[in-house]
Amino acid sequence: MAVRLFSKLRVLPEIKAAYSSSAAAAAPAQLSDFDVQHKTPVIRKQKLIPKAQYGGRHAVTMLPGGGIGPECMGYVRDIFKYIGAPVDFEIVDIDPTVDNDDDVLYAITTIKRNGVGLKGNIETKSEAAYVTSRNVALRNELDMYAYVLNCKSFPGVETRHKDIDVVIIRQNTEGEYAMLEHESVHGVIESMKVVTASNSERVARFAFEFARKNGRKKVTTVHKANIMKLSDGLFLETSKRLAKEYPDIEHNDMIIDNCCMQLVAKPHQFDVMLMTNLYGSIVSNVVCGLLGGAGLLSGRNYGDHYAVFEPGTRNTGTAIAGKNVANPIAMINASIDMLEHLGHHFHADLLRRAVHKTINVDRIMTPDVGGTASSTDVVNAIIGNIGLNH
Amino acid sequence: MSLISRNIFRALVQGSQHVSKGVHTSAVNTKENVCFAPQSISTLQPNASKEGRIKCTLIPGDGVGPELVYSVQEVFKAAGIPVDFESFFFSEVNPTLSAPLEDVVNSITRNKICIKGILATPDFSHTGELQTLNMKLRNALDLYANVVHVKSLPNVKCRHHDVDCIIIREQTEGEYSALEHESVPGVVECLKIITAAKSERIAKFAFDYAVKMGRKKVTAVHKANIMKLGDGLFLRSCEEMAKLYPRIQFEKMIVDNCTMQMVSNPNQFDVMVTPNLYGNIVDNLASGLVGGAGVVAGASYSAECAVFEQGARHIFSGAVGKNIANPTAMLLCSANLLSHVNLPKYSRMIKNAINTVLKDGKVRTKDLGGQSTTKDFTYAVIHCLS
Amino acid sequence: MSRNYIKELLKPLRESKVVGGFLRWLKPAGSVDTAGVWDGENKAPATRNGVAQYSTGVRKVTLIPGHGIGPEITVAVQKIFEAAKVPIEWDEVDVTAVRGPDGKFGIPQKAIDSVNANKIGLKGPLMTPVGKGYRSLNLALRKEFDLYANVRPCKSLDGIKTLYDNVDVVTIRENTEGEYSGIEHEIVDGVVQSIKLITEEASKRVAEFAFQFARDNKRKKVTAVHKANIMRMSDGLFLRCCRELATKYPDIKFEERYLDTVCLNMVQDPSKFDVLVMPNLYGDIMSDMCSGLVGGLGLTPSGNIGKNGALFESVHGTAPDIAGKDMANPTALLLSAIMMLRHLQLNEHADRVQNACYAVLREGKSLTGDLGGTGKCSEFTNAIISKL
Repeated sequence: MAVRLFSKLRVLPEIKAAYSSSAAAAAPAQLSDFDVQHKTPVIRKQKLIPKAQYGGRHAVTMLPGGGIGPECMGYVRDIFKYIGAPVDFEIVDIDPTVDNDDDVLYAITTIKRNGVGLKGNIETKSEAAYVTSRNVALRNELDMYAYVLNCKSFPGVETRHKDIDVVIIRQNTEGEYAMLEHESVHGVIESMKVVTASNSERVARFAFEFARKNGRKKVTTVHKANIMKLSDGLFLETSKRLAKEYPDIEHNDMIIDNCCMQLVAKPHQFDVMLMTNLYGSIVSNVVCGLLGGAGLLSGRNYGDHYAVFEPGTRNTGTAIAGKNVANPIAMINASIDMLEHLGHHFHADLLRRAVHKTINVDRIMTPDVGGTASSTDVVNAIIGNIGLNH
Repeated sequence: MSLISRNIFRALVQGSQHVSKGVHTSAVNTKENVCFAPQSISTLQPNASKEGRIKCTLIPGDGVGPELVYSVQEVFKAAGIPVDFESFFFSEVNPTLSAPLEDVVNSITRNKICIKGILATPDFSHTGELQTLNMKLRNALDLYANVVHVKSLPNVKCRHHDVDCIIIREQTEGEYSALEHESVPGVVECLKIITAAKSERIAKFAFDYAVKMGRKKVTAVHKANIMKLGDGLFLRSCEEMAKLYPRIQFEKMIVDNCTMQMVSNPNQFDVMVTPNLYGNIVDNLASGLVGGAGVVAGASYSAECAVFEQGARHIFSGAVGKNIANPTAMLLCSANLLSHVNLPKYSRMIKNAINTVLKDGKVRTKDLGGQSTTKDFTYAVIHCLS
Repeated sequence: MSRNYIKELLKPLRESKVVGGFLRWLKPAGSVDTAGVWDGENKAPATRNGVAQYSTGVRKVTLIPGHGIGPEITVAVQKIFEAAKVPIEWDEVDVTAVRGPDGKFGIPQKAIDSVNANKIGLKGPLMTPVGKGYRSLNLALRKEFDLYANVRPCKSLDGIKTLYDNVDVVTIRENTEGEYSGIEHEIVDGVVQSIKLITEEASKRVAEFAFQFARDNKRKKVTAVHKANIMRMSDGLFLRCCRELATKYPDIKFEERYLDTVCLNMVQDPSKFDVLVMPNLYGDIMSDMCSGLVGGLGLTPSGNIGKNGALFESVHGTAPDIAGKDMANPTALLLSAIMMLRHLQLNEHADRVQNACYAVLREGKSLTGDLGGTGKCSEFTNAIISKL
C-alpha cells in the first residue's frame, strides 16, 4: 500500500498540461462522458484498453456487494430490461467471508476491461488487520481519485430544509484512508494521513472543471488546516492556487466543524464542496441526512480511465436485506448516472422522469423516507411511470 | 517511401473518419434512441403506438440474397414484429443501379442495425479499384469484428455432432488491406497489415464476447511461426488481453493445425479469435461442418452498430430464381438482430419455430437433403410461430 | 562393401566446392534458365531431371533419418524396401545443424552435396532447435534445393476410421513465395506490414507442375484455389497463370474456386475435388486440413518437387516423447517413399509395397498406438513385409 501511494507521488509532474488539454478536448459537448474518458485520459502512462462497446451496446461490470445490494441490482436489471437500455451487465459476486482478495482483484480487472462499473457496497467481514477494506482497495487500485455526490432535494420527501442543491467532491484515494496504521510501542497506535500535491491538484482541478461544465458558481474547500497545518494546509493551498485559474468561479474555504454546523443550519449557501477523504465521508452523510436518508442519493467515482457508480452513502444495509423494505432509489439513481456517463441520455431521461414522478408526484416511497410502500411496489410504480410517459 | 506515406495517409483518413463518426452518431443519439427504448416497452405492451417501431436498414445483396431477405420479411410480417425495413439496393456487380455508399452508411449509422444479404465480389473491379464494396462498407462503418456462431442444428445430418463454437474475425486489416502493386512486371506484392491497436481491439472483443456468452476458452489462431512480426504482433496482443481475463482459458493454435483439428475434432473449440484471412477460412470450414452456408448466421460489429449477415458468404448464384436456397441462416440472423435490440421474445419465437421445423424434418431445402422450396420452408416456419 | 569404399573415396571430391560446382554445371539447362523451360513446348518438366541420370536399375537415394522417431521409421521403411527388393541404394546423411561460415547454424554441406548428386531424397521429421541463430532446417532444405512445389495426396485408407470415407484429393502448394516470403517490417510502433509476393514465374511453374502431375497420375481435374475477389492483383496474377497453363492441357478439366468456398465444400463433400493448386499459405492450410480428413499427418505422405531434385518426407512432428520406444507409426514415411518410387517411375515396386501397406491397415491387427491399435512399429513393419 505504502509503495503504491508513494509511487503516485512521482507519477504526475506533467499533469497540469495534460489536464488543460483534456479540458479542451472535452469541449464538444456531443461526446458522451464515456467517450471523453476513453479517448482523452489525463495520464497516458497506462496502456489503453480498447473500449467495451459493441454494436451500440456497452458492457458494464456489476458488483452487487452485500446487504441490500443484490436485490437493488435485481431491480435495476428489471428496469433496464424494460426500457431496453443497451447495456450488458457482467455480474461479479464477491464473497465477503473469504479472506483472500481473489474476487476483489477479479472485480477490479473487469472494471479495467469495461471502463464502467455499477456497484453496491462490498462488505469486508474479516477483521484481520492485513485485510484491507475492499471498497477502498477498489478505489485505490483503479485510481479513482474523485468522488462526486449530487445532493438535490426531492420535493416529495418530507425534510426540514427544502431545495438543497449541493455537489460534494471528495478526494477518494488518500488522506486518512491511506490505511497506514501501526502500533509503534505497546498501547500507542499511529495512523498516517497522506496528502500529496499531485492528488490534491487533480481533485481540485476536477472540482473546478466540474463547476464550470455544470454551470455552478462557487467552490468551497473544506479542511482543518488550522490544526493539520501541513497536510490540510497543502490541500487548501493547492485549491487556492487553482482557483486563480478559474476566475469565473468563486472560491472560499471553510473549516470542517464549522462546515457541518453551517450545513444543518444554512445549507443553501453551499454550491460545490471540495474536501479530503474523511471529511467527505462525514459531510456526505450529513447532507444525505438533510435530504431524507441513505436510500436516495447516488455517488460517482471518477478516475482518469474508469468510472464507478454506487449508492451515495456507503452503507450495506445488512439489517433490512431480504425484507423488501430497502429503498431502491439510490441504486436506480446510480444507474441513471451511469446511463448519462455512457451517453445514453434518452434512457437516462426516461428513467429520471419516472423516478421523479414516482417520488415527487405519486409519493410512492419506502418507509425509510416516510412512505409505506415496499421496494417492489416502488419499482413497479417506476416501471409503470416509464410507460405513462408515452 | 510512397508506400509508407500512403499507409499513413490511410491511417489518418481512417482516424478522422472515426472521430467525425463519433461526433455524428452522438449528435443523432437522441433521435435514434427514440426508436430504441419504446420498442422494448412494446414487448410488454403489445398495443404500443406507431412510434414504438424500430427501423432497420436492409441490404438484399446479390445472388439468392433477395429471396432470403424476402423470406425474413414474410416471417416478420406474420409474427407482427415491430420492425420497419429501410431497403437499399447495394451491389458491386450492378454498379449503375447500386445505391451510393454514403446513403447506405448514413442509414446504418442512423438505425444502428442492418440486415444484409451477401454481396457478390467480382474478381476485378469496373473502376480498377482494389477495394471491394464489402470492404468499403466495413471500413466506412468500422465494422471490425465478425462473429460467426457455428452450432449444430437439430436433425440436420452432418458428419460432426454437437459442434458449438464462436469464431471471431478481425475484418478491417490483415490480408484484406487492398494494398497491392506490381513492382516489376510479373511480380505482385500484396501487403498484409497488422496493427497493435486493431489486434488488441479484436482480442478484447473476443474475450468480452466470451464473458457475455459465458464461455470458458478463447483460442487465438495464427501463423506466427512463419510470419513472426505480423502474426506475432497479433498473438502478443491476444496474450496481453488474456491477462485481463483470468477466468477464461486462453490458448494458441497455428492455423494449419487448427483446420486439421477442426475437421477431425471440432468439439474442442469454444471461442476462436483470428486475423482476417484465417477467420474467413475457419468460418467457412466450420460452417461446412454443420450443414453449409445456408444454416449459419453471423454478425459484424462496430462500436456503434451491428450488421447481421450470413456466417459463410456465398452468393449461391446457381440457385438464383430457383426458389431452392435455404433461408435458415438469414432467419437466424434476424432472430439475433431482435435479441440485440431487446426484443428477446420475438427472437425466441423465430428460433423456436426454426428448430421445430428442422426437428420435424418434413420440410427441408435441397442443401439439407430435402426437396422443399425456400417458400415452403418460410411458410413452415411461419406456421410454427407461436 | 566395395560400393561404400568408392563412396568414401568420392567424398572429398563431392565436398570440394570446385568439383561440386562442376557437377552442378553439368546439370541440364532447366535449372539454370528456368524461363526457357516455360516458354518451350510441352517439355517434360524439370522435375524428371533427376530420373534421367540413372538408367542402370539401382537408384541412389539420399536418406535423412531426422530426429526423434525419425530413425526408427526410416529403418522400418528401409526394411520393407529391402524385403520388396526395391532397387534403391540409400545414401544416409545427417542434417543435424552445424555452424556455418556465417555463424548461423545450418545444414551440413555433405547433406547438400548428397541431395545435389542424387537428385532425390527421403527425409524423416526434423526438429529445429529453438533459439537465436537457428534457421528452420525444413526451410533451409527447401531453399537449398529450390523445392517449389509441395504435393500431398490425401486418400482415405481402408481400416482407418474417420468421418470422411471418400477423400481422394491432391494438394499442390507453391512453396517459395506468397505469404511466406519472410519480408516483414514494423513501419511505426504497433503497425506491422508483411508482404505477400506473387510472381508470374513461380505461379506458372507450379501451375505447370500441377497440370503435368494430373496428367501423369491420370487425374481428371485441377482446381485453382484463390481469393482473387479480395486480393485482386496478387491472387489475380496467380489465377491468370493457372488459366494460361490450363489451355495447354486441354485433357485436364480446370476450374477456379474461392478459398472459402473450397473450405466449405471440402468438409461437406470432399469427392468434389481432385487436384488442388494454390499459393503458399492457402496450400499450407488446405493440405493440413485435408490430411485431417483422412486421419491426420501420421497417414499423409508428402513430396517436395524442385528443379534441383525432389525431396519426399513425412510431415508429422518428431514426437520426442515416444522416440526409441518402438511405438511410432511409419505409415506416412512409407507412403512418402512409395510416392518417391512413383516419381522414379518404379511403379511396379510402388504398387507392391502400397498394396501390402494398405492390406495391413485394412486388417487393422498390428496398428500402432496413434491409430488406436496396440502394435509396435516393428510388428507393423513385419506385417507389411509378410504381405509383400
